[in-house]
Amino acid sequence: MARLADRQDFERYAAAVHQRWERLWAGDRWVISVGISGCSIGKGALETYRHLELMLAQEGVPATLRQVGCAGWCFAEPFVEVRAPGAPPVVYGNITTDRVPELVHALKRGEVKAELALGVRAEESFGGIQPLSQHPFLARQRRLLFADAGVVDPESIDDYIARGGYRAFLKALFEMTPEEVVAEVKASNLRGRGGAGFPAGIKWESGRRTQAWPKYVVVNSHEGEPNVFKDRRLLETNPHLVLEGLLIGCYALETPHGYNYIGGEHALAVQRFQEAVRQAYELGLLGDNILGTKFSCHVRVRTGGGAYICGEGSALMYAIMGQRGQPRTKPPRSVEEGLWKRPTVLNNTETFASVPGIVRHGGAWYASLGTEQSTGTKLVTIQGPVKRVGVAEIEMGMTLRELIFEVFGGMREGYRFKGVQTGGVSAGPLREDQLDVPIDFDSMTPLGGMLGSGGFVVFDESVCAVDFARYLTAFNRFESCSKCNPCRLGNPALVEILDRIRNGYGRPQDLDIIREGSKHIIELSLCGLGQVAPMPLLGMMKAFPEEFDAHIREKRCPANVCPISEATLLAAAGDD
Amino acid sequence: MAHHVEPAEQVDLAPLREVLASQFRPRDSQEAYELIVGACQEAQRLYGWVPPEAAQAIADHLGVTINRIYGLLTFYADFRTEPPGKHFLWLCHGAACYVMGSSRLIEVLRERYGLEDHGVSPDRELTLHVFNGCLGVCDLAPVIQVDHHTYWGRLTPDRLTAAIDALKRGDPVEETDGPAG
Repeated sequence: MARLADRQDFERYAAAVHQRWERLWAGDRWVISVGISGCSIGKGALETYRHLELMLAQEGVPATLRQVGCAGWCFAEPFVEVRAPGAPPVVYGNITTDRVPELVHALKRGEVKAELALGVRAEESFGGIQPLSQHPFLARQRRLLFADAGVVDPESIDDYIARGGYRAFLKALFEMTPEEVVAEVKASNLRGRGGAGFPAGIKWESGRRTQAWPKYVVVNSHEGEPNVFKDRRLLETNPHLVLEGLLIGCYALETPHGYNYIGGEHALAVQRFQEAVRQAYELGLLGDNILGTKFSCHVRVRTGGGAYICGEGSALMYAIMGQRGQPRTKPPRSVEEGLWKRPTVLNNTETFASVPGIVRHGGAWYASLGTEQSTGTKLVTIQGPVKRVGVAEIEMGMTLRELIFEVFGGMREGYRFKGVQTGGVSAGPLREDQLDVPIDFDSMTPLGGMLGSGGFVVFDESVCAVDFARYLTAFNRFESCSKCNPCRLGNPALVEILDRIRNGYGRPQDLDIIREGSKHIIELSLCGLGQVAPMPLLGMMKAFPEEFDAHIREKRCPANVCPISEATLLAAAGDD
Repeated sequence: MAHHVEPAEQVDLAPLREVLASQFRPRDSQEAYELIVGACQEAQRLYGWVPPEAAQAIADHLGVTINRIYGLLTFYADFRTEPPGKHFLWLCHGAACYVMGSSRLIEVLRERYGLEDHGVSPDRELTLHVFNGCLGVCDLAPVIQVDHHTYWGRLTPDRLTAAIDALKRGDPVEETDGPAG
């Protein structure tokens, strides 16, 4: 494949791949797509793919078998989409290897398997199968970043271009000045998706203003929180979207240096993003003098080694520079002195992925989505015993109740909702009576929750609030980088007190010691992660005071999780 | 835990040197520093841990000090500086897995198999890494990734011990994938 020389060359190429895409879907061969992503591989998607390959050959079905990315419905993996000639594509869920023969035989007979279907990709029902867009999981979603999730092959730049990819980058490159790009991002009021919610446009503007070169643009795909998996799914399902956002970012900052720092654990995300970069180089969308312009851009992929702290901006930059990933004091801020002491604009994966849409349709269009202060859509993930575990993309402003009970289907049989942990390990939980809060950057904070990166953990009656608080605090203790004392010494102290309470030796004054110690950690820690480390514990104490009370005063664990029950027995035995 | 070092087994550095020569070619000192973690990850992929010889080879290749390499190896949780056992268990201890009971699995592994986080079982059959982040297969929670490719999902303590016993015998353990839906 030769490098594309200029804009006309790109247009010709795009027209050709678009035609090929149309022919694929209008042809007289079957088109069978299998979702291959981190979560579906865990549930056997590769085996399903191999079985399908064998069965289709055996049965002599003329079919094009292709891989696509994840579509967010973890609960229905592995999924298989089948387009028979002359019929709309039907998506089937939970197609494990044992169901493959059944499916292929039915298809060969010209039947559909309505009982296995999630929906049909069409406006109208087909063969008793409802349109996919009406599936309860998708009906309330607004998919921009995930619009092509499960449709395009993540390892094919052609698929992406055929679906209109890199149009936004071309528009920026040929029709807009870098200042205009920044102005659009500012107008969109796109706020950072990593958790802090700082407006991306303002960050980009300060990056432009700083007079030092070279400048760097960095994607933060580290995602080390224990409760969120949206970024890696995005990279696994549509890596070119993130790459296009990064390219636009580099153009806006007028720099040829782009980075993506991806958590080393997300092997498939790393692999697919690297492949996307390779393809973009091959086609001439990365490299020197892109499409005959003066703009050059080079993207390097760097991987993390499993340290949560490396998701913090300055720590991440030290990690890229081959040092221990520990944060530093600010100012200077990263936009003044970041990577290699040069101005660096760092944003979350999801933030960059939102940029192509903003450039294509305008900042005003994006600002019309969501709420006034939190515009656009948000990727959210859910964990715990709900019916439909997965990644959803919703418009900001939907209530948490709608999200949990409509999109994610509510609790599984036999589980009763107790609370939902918000904001990862940086905020507290919300109880059942607080669920009518809208999902945006600001509304949850007064209640002790937080949007954070959009990971929600639903827990049921079998989870003890004290034990859960211990888990979240222990995470922060383990992941503390040990640079500053309040975090390094404070978190172990909190865990120690919690362990005392869990073991039945809690004293009423312990809660005051926790509050006092937490205050020190919050006020004195060096980085953002230390400053919020005690928040989950304080949130749990606020949301479930009666459980802490039961542990301390009555020496019992209502959920029967903590070792306290044994301690009580031992104490009783000692009294004899 | 006491250091248990394999008796004088020579590490074959040829495959590592090949990877370094083909994929790790820094153009300047900045890039050399940027490549350290990636090179160590390659070494761990090849050997299951980063032997001192490999760390020295990486240091020599990239022109950085061995101290810098060990500074990173001991900072990041993913790296091992001691040899692993035969099978590698990567236990997800993310919030989803915690809510669904991963703490009980950690207890079973400690009490029944003598496995601590980052430790090797006394019979050198098993290595355990407890992953504090999220493996991202939350529908299977609680989940363990085994030998980097298979997943044991929706585990209970009983199913875990059955799966480990089968793994040690060399039998297939597919039946522990848990019910769908």
